[in-house]
Amino acid sequence: MKIYFQKKDFNLSKELSNFSRKNKKVGSIISFVGKVRPFNGNNKLESMEIDCYKKMALHQTNKIIDILISKGGVVDYQVIHRFGKLVPSENIILILVASEHRKEGFFFIEKLIKCFKSKITFWKKEFYFDSSSWLKSQK
Amino acid sequence: MKILYFARISEELGKNEELLLIKNKIRIIDVINILKNKNKKYDLVFKKISNIKFAINCEYATKNDYITDNDELAIFPPVTGG
Repeated sequence: MKIYFQKKDFNLSKELSNFSRKNKKVGSIISFVGKVRPFNGNNKLESMEIDCYKKMALHQTNKIIDILISKGGVVDYQVIHRFGKLVPSENIILILVASEHRKEGFFFIEKLIKCFKSKITFWKKEFYFDSSSWLKSQK
Repeated sequence: MKILYFARISEELGKNEELLLIKNKIRIIDVINILKNKNKKYDLVFKKISNIKFAINCEYATKNDYITDNDELAIFPPVTGG
């Protein structure tokens, strides 16, 4: 059960393989990876800068995960969210969840990703070739 | 108190944090008004606060919540992570 907010990229195969090895008795392991899109509408992205309030992000993520875990069925999880400068096709976020059945796993990922878009303190700024823009909340 | 700024707000103010000394507990909106009186840059950034979020010691707060000198106030736009 770990949460990492970091600049460096993660290796999906390595993280999934380690997580899977650690959770041998579950019925489901689900992974979600969010990536930097190369386009936003008609704007071609050159790069993305992600700002974060790390202390609050960790506090809020723990709070939300505690609620999700209390619903039962989730055995283990791992969350990595990157910040700093990223370029198109780079990984932004990884959520791994091990659960007794797939339903709780999908629910966990869907709820947590919604919280990253509404409560957890990260902000994305997109850089296009001739302009830039802070993204607007999708909430 | 320590005030932290993030994303667009930090960029527009040209700073990530600053200290503000207050004697008694005051509301967040009072802090905003103190800042707005500092100079035009603050006044412009905080002209419309309906789209600005606040947190006291990592918990979301509203403009009418009270804050003391020992607290950490964060001011930021709605989040866009994930």
